[in-house]
Amino acid sequence: MNIDVRIKRTDPVSGETQWQTFEYDALGKPSVAKILEEINLREQLTDKDGKAARRISWECSCLQGVCGACAMVIDGRPALACETFVDPSAQSEVSIEPLRKFHVVADLVVDRSVIDKTLLESEVYIKDYNESSPDEFAHRYQASKCLKCGLCLEVCPNWTGTGKFAGALFANDCYLVDSADSSTEIRDEFGKHFAAGCSKSLSCMKVCPMKIETIASIAKMNRRKKR
Amino acid sequence: MKVLIVGTGISGLSAAVALASRGEDVIMISPFPSERAQSVMAAGGINAVDEESEDSFEAHIGDTLKGGRFIAGKEAVKGLCEAAPSVIRELEQMGTVFARDENGKIRRRAFGGQSFDRTCYSGTSTGKQIVTALRRELRRYESQGKAEIRLGTDFHSALIEDGRCYGILAYDERYASLAPIYADAVIIASGGQNALYGKTTGSTACDGYTAGRLFMQGAVLKNPEFVQFHPTTYVTPQKNMLISEAARGEGGRLFYVKDSKRVYFMEDLFGPKGNLMPRDVVSRSIFNTGEKVFLDVSFLGGKKIRERMLETYELCMKYGGLDITEEPIPVTPSVHFFMGGLAVDNGHMTNIDGLYAAGECASIYHGANRLGGNSMLAAFYGGKVAAGSIIEREEKREAPLFDGFIRDQEKAFNKILSSSGRKPVTDIRSKLAQAMKGSMGIIRNGKDLEDGINVLDGLIGQVREDEFDSSLLPYFTYSTEAIVVLGKAAMTAALARTESRGAHQRSEYKEEKDEFCAATLISYDGGRLSVSYDKEGRYEH
Repeated sequence: MNIDVRIKRTDPVSGETQWQTFEYDALGKPSVAKILEEINLREQLTDKDGKAARRISWECSCLQGVCGACAMVIDGRPALACETFVDPSAQSEVSIEPLRKFHVVADLVVDRSVIDKTLLESEVYIKDYNESSPDEFAHRYQASKCLKCGLCLEVCPNWTGTGKFAGALFANDCYLVDSADSSTEIRDEFGKHFAAGCSKSLSCMKVCPMKIETIASIAKMNRRKKR
Repeated sequence: MKVLIVGTGISGLSAAVALASRGEDVIMISPFPSERAQSVMAAGGINAVDEESEDSFEAHIGDTLKGGRFIAGKEAVKGLCEAAPSVIRELEQMGTVFARDENGKIRRRAFGGQSFDRTCYSGTSTGKQIVTALRRELRRYESQGKAEIRLGTDFHSALIEDGRCYGILAYDERYASLAPIYADAVIIASGGQNALYGKTTGSTACDGYTAGRLFMQGAVLKNPEFVQFHPTTYVTPQKNMLISEAARGEGGRLFYVKDSKRVYFMEDLFGPKGNLMPRDVVSRSIFNTGEKVFLDVSFLGGKKIRERMLETYELCMKYGGLDITEEPIPVTPSVHFFMGGLAVDNGHMTNIDGLYAAGECASIYHGANRLGGNSMLAAFYGGKVAAGSIIEREEKREAPLFDGFIRDQEKAFNKILSSSGRKPVTDIRSKLAQAMKGSMGIIRNGKDLEDGINVLDGLIGQVREDEFDSSLLPYFTYSTEAIVVLGKAAMTAALARTESRGAHQRSEYKEEKDEFCAATLISYDGGRLSVSYDKEGRYEH
């Protein structure tokens, strides 16, 4: 069954942006990753108008929703391409664009280095290891699964990428440090870069592919801060 | 000293932390951050003897050597197994979340080919938990200025003169250019060779190029014919998804249906522990049934399944709408791990001075078949050993000029950028995968291998002569020839090994032969591949 695949293209050299549509004959309900992969494998790549097209730049690694490489905006919703499925019997078009809050390198590839930069500046690491309480296991396990995909930042009404506020993944990583550290330095960083800036929209939790309960990290950090 | 590490998965991170913590300067390069590394996909666990149990180092060593069909190095394996408990303690102190029992002790589960339960784990996302902890630990040294990660940077070639490596030529994706990075020592930690088969259970980013290119530059490869087919993968339109060995470790049973009755063939063949035979044996047994095989875990109950293997439950639900708490999983063996790779000595150095390798790109510890739970152990331990060897053996060095070499590489690279071709080079990769699947499956034969080598020779000629679409990331174009050459090395080694051992099975030579009880070595020699066997333990011993 045919479907139009509309992709927001950004030329890596000129930086020029345009939407380009490709026809795709879908078998079953393919993932967006599968669609992108197959379009790129075509012997000659032409768009719906028959015009020669550049190959599509996009990132993938695991193709099973555990690495975060393929985070993008699909039909207006930020999601992982490898676990977002398209149903051609229910839609005639799918639109794909890069994450909007990050610098676009080319097409669907964005520069997410700000994530590591923020964590480094705040020295988010365990200074002096202290075994966690067994009660923390379940949440530590879940929070450790953060993909650093950037989806939580993309949907956050408060994260801009340039301000002090560091977003949900920062809160979760602060919790991971604080719950295994006898030093309490990370609490100040949490205060500076998260506590005051979060308006609790919790959109981060709705979009998180790992279903990390950031609200639990926030609550735990707030309780710890008071100790 | 300045040490360059290619790759940011578990082995690269482990080496980086070990070096930086001892005052060395580390530069890591990778196209992607650690969160995208294949290490995050490692599911089931990491092996370490519980020193308070009846298990012993001798048992772990014996199981590993036997699982590898006796061609791994005894001393190397001894080092690996004896270090395992301290590896777990170290990971724990970096904040790795391991599953624990009611007394707070790290839990261990059963895994294939092991005489005791010794696989420490964390649900079925153990690799992810370890990567999270290691990446965070590296930040300590980044903040001290002792470690730096350069992303969007790919290996292009090594800077080698007179048998010594002085650094690499790197491809910078952002500027589409090549630039040298000089170092006193280089560690390759670039992962496995998945691109040989197109898609495997692992990451699409692990394509084997680095090992292939180094092979063409004079590095010796070892055991490339030994390719592990994981017995239990779930076929989906996206790819074959790994069903962790943990599923069988927790009690899962393999069966097929005959005359409306379940036949638990592994138990019939090998007794009550039949489902947990080493992976080569299970894959072969599934293949030999000629039947549609299923893995049942549903009898464990929803609570235990979600508690012990949540990710496996979610995977089947997401990609197949299959509820494993209710229904058995249809499974098929699929390519999962490469026991072969760069030949390294017990200190993880290749035959090229100053060039080291660790993790799946290196061939060490696993022999002809790797045991589940030993890969993350080998990755972490191997990275540490490589770091220790560098500190012990290497020193600051002045690099010679590589102007001529760099100019030649840039010329070839610019030709890729200015190509007017329209077809994608990935087409060659697809044909390579087709040939590998045809000739290098679970059971091989000489005729198919000879045919496969001819096909790959044709592809090598094509990739050298044809022009390809320059709008595809240039990395794909410059990497493809070496990946095909790597495939040819695997086929050549498979053709030469006229016996069946571990993951290498020949239909015409069904038995193991004493004369082949040694690792395969293969070298490039200007395009001519030469095979020999390391009977003296020149590399791993």
